[in-house]
Amino acid sequence: MDAATLPLPVIKLELLGDASAAACEGDSCAIPDHHLQAVVNRKLDEDDV
Amino acid sequence: MSNPIKVDIWSDVQCPWCYIGKRKFEAGASEFGGEVEVEYHSFELAPDTPVDFDGTPVDYLSQRKGLPIDQVEQMLERVTGIAKSVGLDYDYDHVHQTNTVISHELIHFAKSKGRQLEMKERLLDAYFVRGEHVGRIPDLVAIAVELGFDEAEVTEALESHRFLPDVKADVALAQEYGIQGVPFFVIDGKYGVSGAQEASTFANVLAQVQSERVV
Repeated sequence: MDAATLPLPVIKLELLGDASAAACEGDSCAIPDHHLQAVVNRKLDEDDV
Repeated sequence: MSNPIKVDIWSDVQCPWCYIGKRKFEAGASEFGGEVEVEYHSFELAPDTPVDFDGTPVDYLSQRKGLPIDQVEQMLERVTGIAKSVGLDYDYDHVHQTNTVISHELIHFAKSKGRQLEMKERLLDAYFVRGEHVGRIPDLVAIAVELGFDEAEVTEALESHRFLPDVKADVALAQEYGIQGVPFFVIDGKYGVSGAQEASTFANVLAQVQSERVV
């Protein structure tokens, strides 16, 4: 279902927090860039790279 | 008089960000320090997945997304690393990709006994860490019995699908809220927080909700 055909929310919520936080939608669980950077940083800290 | 902040969480048992987000939320709620009441709700990320999917999560994602195997493996390795950072040892080599609807029925069964949170944690652990199957009734009954539930009662509940309407009601409510991805947190029925936020974000949001109540 694309954005144009998604049903409109019936109950309105005020959204708080970081809008780019990691989530799963359908079978897709994307990894946001800041998480990838955190993984790289940790590997650097652990001398894995 | 006790008046905890109510947090309704939509989540799927096979959602890697849901378990990571659970840990981050728990840390945030602890940092917040106030009283919080949590209730989990069912969300099916891939309701068309067969219970006995013949393959690994790598096969599944590769087939579904049309991605090369090595790219999927790299993706899961990264998620595993992020899970590790919150103390979770994901074991994707032994994960059983499956349909989670009956595991959601089991969570509702446990909720009817006042033990929903315990079951939710156990099923996430079963799927991501222990490599247990969370789609088949006998496997789910074994998990429930291990937690001390009555074998005959839980078998009857799952075989009759007595709690399926509750699962579907959760999914319908998610649609009413416009929830498209999980984890998704609804706080006091009016604020929405999407995804595996940092613990400090959850703490700040809870503090904000609390302060608005005081005014």
